[in-house]
Amino acid sequence: MKRLITFFTTLTIMTTTATQAQTVKASTVKTTFHRETSVSIEIKSDSTIVWALLTKASDYPRWNSTITSIEGNIVLGEKIKLKSTLDTKRTFKLKIKEFEPEKKLVWGDGQGNRIYTITKNGNGIVTFRMTEKIGGLMFPMYAKMIPSFDQTFEQFANDLKKEAETIMNTK
Amino acid sequence: MTVELLNQEFNRNLGQLKSYLVRITASVTDAEDIAQDTYLKAVEKINTFRGESTAKTWFFTIASNLAKDNLRVQKRWVENVTDITKEEALKNKRFFQDAMEINLTSPNGQFEAKEHIAFCFTCISKSLPLEQQLCIFLKEIYEFKVNEITAILDSTEAMVKYYLHTGRSKMIDIFDGRCALINKQGVCHQCSELNGIFNPKQNTQQELMKIEMVREAEKGNKEQLFDLRMSILRDTDPFKSKSSELQLHHLEHNRQVMEGYLKKSND
Repeated sequence: MKRLITFFTTLTIMTTTATQAQTVKASTVKTTFHRETSVSIEIKSDSTIVWALLTKASDYPRWNSTITSIEGNIVLGEKIKLKSTLDTKRTFKLKIKEFEPEKKLVWGDGQGNRIYTITKNGNGIVTFRMTEKIGGLMFPMYAKMIPSFDQTFEQFANDLKKEAETIMNTK
Repeated sequence: MTVELLNQEFNRNLGQLKSYLVRITASVTDAEDIAQDTYLKAVEKINTFRGESTAKTWFFTIASNLAKDNLRVQKRWVENVTDITKEEALKNKRFFQDAMEINLTSPNGQFEAKEHIAFCFTCISKSLPLEQQLCIFLKEIYEFKVNEITAILDSTEAMVKYYLHTGRSKMIDIFDGRCALINKQGVCHQCSELNGIFNPKQNTQQELMKIEMVREAEKGNKEQLFDLRMSILRDTDPFKSKSSELQLHHLEHNRQVMEGYLKKSND
């Protein structure tokens, strides 16, 4: 009997681990002049919570393991200074280009844009999607120097899901 | 509701209401003024009270609205408020003379480290965004449920949960970095220092060990330590406790110092 219980417990753990691993997978499409990375994840939370997390600049390092700091206000037309774990020595100076509450946020610079979208699925679940397209005529010259975004994107999406769902479950 | 019943209910909740107001405004005068205005507003709007919420929730709603009008125009304090105000207190002989006089003459002038912990939380909580500060006090100290806070602050349940979670996380981080009672590397020892000044015959370490939060510190469970800190605030009435006069004197000092500091940093 004990063995049977252990077997089922192990099976449950394996199934859970597999489900968690499947929850998010980034994908990258490369062309000569561009590279586009996307990730999408379902979050059991209210869209206002996801939006609040995405737009409170100073709070990012608390919940997001891919961002070490953001200075400035995430408001349409404003500029922010972002430091990421992708390249710790570099400060990205970005402009908030689109700001549609609880739906869409876009920031970027001359080399590319990061697009966040939130879609309400109507059952207490939202789909969060994050895309970054970088490139231009000079892109082939420096493409190899830019690391893959896939892992960071997956981490970002998982962190957001974890934090938003934790908040949603606050009693 | 009749005016007679309103009076009864108001008097029953007045202590908690004033305690909430002094903690969010850091001003006894403001707390008393807002409490009085809350009563007047409640009498004026007595016919709109349909009993859908408790009288306590209703009074806290009116009081929060009145306080928010005031607080929104003020700049928020800073995390290291106690460092800044300590520096100013050390330069101000009068501050310590007055404090000593209160300590020697007032029945509510004893120094208690526990009450200083509550006072310290009040000061540092003013560095949080206003909504986060109000949510934390309403939930953790005055024990409102999320749906009641939603009504009090005219917000949504999702946003109240967001404010609660982020506010709590920030306060845990701040105290973990600052408070030497829970972290040996903490930079702030003010409650121990003040206990040494006001209670020189006491063994400060022994006194501090009487506090459950201090005893539990070694386990390093930050969430539990925060909950224990909150229980200290719940058990402390800022107007009636053993240290109340001393702590309110200290609070008034800090408020004046912070107003000057924020004005200067604005110029």
